[in-house]
Amino acid sequence: MPAATRPPAPRPPDRATPGAALVRAIARLVPLHLRDDWAAEWCGELDYYWTARQSTRAALLWRCLGALPDAFWLRRRHGGHLMLGQDLRFALRTFGRRPGFAAVVILTLALGIGANTAIFSVVNAVLLRSLPFPDPDRLVMLWGMATDGDSSKVARWSSYLDFTDIRSQARSFEQMAALRASRVALTGGAQEPARLDGAEVTANLFRALGAAPALGRGFLPEDERPGATRVVVLSDALWRGRFGGDPALIGRPVVLDGNAHVVVGVMGGDYAYPGDAQLWLPLVPGELDRERGGHTLRVVARLAPGVARASAETEVRGIARGLEAQYPRDNAKRGARLEPMREAAVGTVRATLLVLLGAVGVVLLIGCANVANLFLARAASREREVAVRTALGAGRSRLLRQFLAESLLLSLTGGALGLLFAHWALRAMLAAAPTSIPRADGITIDATVLAFLLGVSTIVGAVFGVLPALQLSRTDALGAFRDAGRGLTAGLGRRRLRQALVVSEVALAMLLVIGAALLVKSFWRLQRVDPGFEPRGLLAVRVQLPASRYAERPRVRRFYEELAARARATPGVRSASVAFEHPLSEGWTTSFTVEGRDPPREGEEPEARMRPVMPGYFRTVGVSLLRGRDIAERDRAEAPGVVVINESFARRHFPNEDPVGKRLRRQAWWPEMPTSYEIVGVVRDEKFLGPRGGADPATYFAFEHFPFTDAYLMVRTAGDEAVVAAALRREIRTLDADLPVEAMRGMQQILAESVAAPRFTMALIALFAVLALVLAAVGIYGVLSYTVARRTGEIGLRMALGAGRGRVLRLVVGQGMSLTLLGVAAGGAAALVATRALRTLLFGVSATDPVVFVGVALLLGSVAFVAAYVPARRASRVDPMVALRSE
Amino acid sequence: MSPGPRITYPSAIVLLAVTRGLRHGFDIIDASGLQSGTVYPALRRLEEAGLLRSKWESVRSARDAQRPPRRNYQITGVGAEVLREALARYPGLASALARSGAEPGGAPSPAPA
Repeated sequence: MPAATRPPAPRPPDRATPGAALVRAIARLVPLHLRDDWAAEWCGELDYYWTARQSTRAALLWRCLGALPDAFWLRRRHGGHLMLGQDLRFALRTFGRRPGFAAVVILTLALGIGANTAIFSVVNAVLLRSLPFPDPDRLVMLWGMATDGDSSKVARWSSYLDFTDIRSQARSFEQMAALRASRVALTGGAQEPARLDGAEVTANLFRALGAAPALGRGFLPEDERPGATRVVVLSDALWRGRFGGDPALIGRPVVLDGNAHVVVGVMGGDYAYPGDAQLWLPLVPGELDRERGGHTLRVVARLAPGVARASAETEVRGIARGLEAQYPRDNAKRGARLEPMREAAVGTVRATLLVLLGAVGVVLLIGCANVANLFLARAASREREVAVRTALGAGRSRLLRQFLAESLLLSLTGGALGLLFAHWALRAMLAAAPTSIPRADGITIDATVLAFLLGVSTIVGAVFGVLPALQLSRTDALGAFRDAGRGLTAGLGRRRLRQALVVSEVALAMLLVIGAALLVKSFWRLQRVDPGFEPRGLLAVRVQLPASRYAERPRVRRFYEELAARARATPGVRSASVAFEHPLSEGWTTSFTVEGRDPPREGEEPEARMRPVMPGYFRTVGVSLLRGRDIAERDRAEAPGVVVINESFARRHFPNEDPVGKRLRRQAWWPEMPTSYEIVGVVRDEKFLGPRGGADPATYFAFEHFPFTDAYLMVRTAGDEAVVAAALRREIRTLDADLPVEAMRGMQQILAESVAAPRFTMALIALFAVLALVLAAVGIYGVLSYTVARRTGEIGLRMALGAGRGRVLRLVVGQGMSLTLLGVAAGGAAALVATRALRTLLFGVSATDPVVFVGVALLLGSVAFVAAYVPARRASRVDPMVALRSE
Repeated sequence: MSPGPRITYPSAIVLLAVTRGLRHGFDIIDASGLQSGTVYPALRRLEEAGLLRSKWESVRSARDAQRPPRRNYQITGVGAEVLREALARYPGLASALARSGAEPGGAPSPAPA
């Protein structure tokens, strides 16, 4: 549109002409040198058609839309030197001149955004994404619950009889299913026997969840009947891994625990409930299921359409009350409650994840405050540049666009780098994460996370671009020329803003470091808990004898005696014994009464952990005997009952008397089992509830009286654990070639795993805290060195007038420390409230531990001091002559 | 004369419309049935390529009509040459404009300078 010989318009286009306003708005897109002509042409046509041709308003407005492509065409054709591309090129050149600034900003944002994306990915997968079942909101878990609040007396799980009673009476549910974990040995074929995680499930479990087998069928009600043909459904992974994905496997038998089971179905690859199951068996009620007190089942239910959870809960509570009245011996104080399945699946991880999300958000906030400060400082040092450009005709929007281009370039680069960081961080985190993160395999950086990332980067970029530009475009060009480089009084408001940013940075860092310090201290306490046994050099080997081949108790006794004897004879073994539980396995409780005391009311008998052991157990695991004697060789199956108790038991039930020689009475489970047991010894407490748990009363019976098929071989080694483990594996194979041998694990490893979750949380938060500390230090340093640079002249003047170096040093450090002090106070106050969120994660430390609060304040103070000292020293070295001459 | 640049079909319609006396953007839009977002960039391209030239209506005639001046387009020698080629290349071109409902002779246009 070069022919621009337009004469001046006789009058401006009628403002009422439809579309004229739109055209004038679009005109901003048109390159400046063509804009007036362009607008005049469009307005001329509009006016003519409106007045002379009587076009309708709608037709004109519609036609005006064509001005948009027209304007864009001109812009592309002529406006290249005015466009974003130029802004970007300019930005790149600017950053090229000061790569340090760009690098710090990009890195800060990348770390902040990367860490946030990584944590958010976990939160998204674990907390936000719904369960992989249709209508997941209708799925609930039914738990047992103590009506009097004493949770140690009432199991969460249900007995088979309670389950069937509630299922037949309740009307609120479409399906109610039950399951329990079951481990089976898979034998036969050319491959080694394998120990598989499975679950016994009621026939309707898959239907309740809304899942169906990918191949074959699920279970039918007749599969649950005792004596029915044994059937099994395999997981996709097992079917592919062990059986080569052969579809012809359906209808063929596999050998589980020595019995042939017909494979009737294979679940799809995306089905995983319960999480680790490799196969599913029908829940055929066994001997223990005839006991109302045998709580072995998890109950899953699907609410009927339109039934609220609250009303369903009222119904099951009513049923539980009925059962309580009907069976007081087993169901005293036993209530029921419903929990959404999603919450049950997430469990205790929820608190941890939310704390992590909060912590990582704080890191991003500190990073943003830092970046904002950097931008503000940079904007101030560009006053002269901006003044020149304003004087040369750059408008406010032009400046805004350029600043925006610069900040968006930095923040989006930071975001892209952050995505890379997040990818690595997520991989590292999942590799290091404890297995207790539920649904961990679903964690990926997905679209939600990407949107989150993009949003954060763009907002951060836009804010940092617009703020300084707005501030600068407000300063008048002339004033900037006059003041530039002096800045004694310039921008008091801006200085306040920068200081406020530093104070909030320090406050946030204080908050985060306190949180981290609390977790570190709590973890340190956890590490120092005496587990009650000696984990070093102690191996635990899980042995599970298939009930089909070891139905007679003498056979079980013979096997384990032989195993212990062979283990003791193995080179490198100092001692060995067999126990029902290893020292960190909590096991179960049974009820008992103390002979010679008033019998408690039915249903209120005391309970204690039941831990049958073979002779030599305490010596092998390193639990010291405090009084009396160990279980001995003479405590055979036919000998009178004996029991060793722990300190907690003695304290609880024999507070002021010697328990040795007293007798406990309990029900016999089979004919030759004694009912009366003499207390022969007292041992120290083992922390079988894990280091976090308290001690619990425990009874150690003779294994001879309780020959369970499942047990642990406990071995104290003197030599290389791996060599010993290999030798033990051979011994077990010679005793029973069909017995799958599991990986042997050192108790040290098991102990470490029991604190893996708190260690993971602590490590992550500590990492964030270090980041926060570094960022806060950079912030203080940045603001002070900027101030020093701006005040060089003033400092020079002071020194020329006789101020000593020490005084200048104190001036600058004092400024930094006063900001720090404000931040520490604010952060400390916030932490008093905020650390409450940590309470469930802490062990042995109060959420307001004064040592931690004071220590962190001192730590922040010293970091701030160093960060302030460096620029202060630079200020104190100012040569008054040089400084004043440069004015 | 060297053959001018080859032009697109819509540009050819715009060029044809101008030779038929439709000299203003909106008139060409009406006559051709093309969208305003097609016609205007075409006008810009044709003018830049030297196939059209534009002039502003004289102030006096605009003032007489009580409205702002309009911009009008005229074909150049090269433009006429290119249009001749285009008519040969797009056989339906000549009838395209008529079919699209332009009034014969085009819209009344104020006297060009």
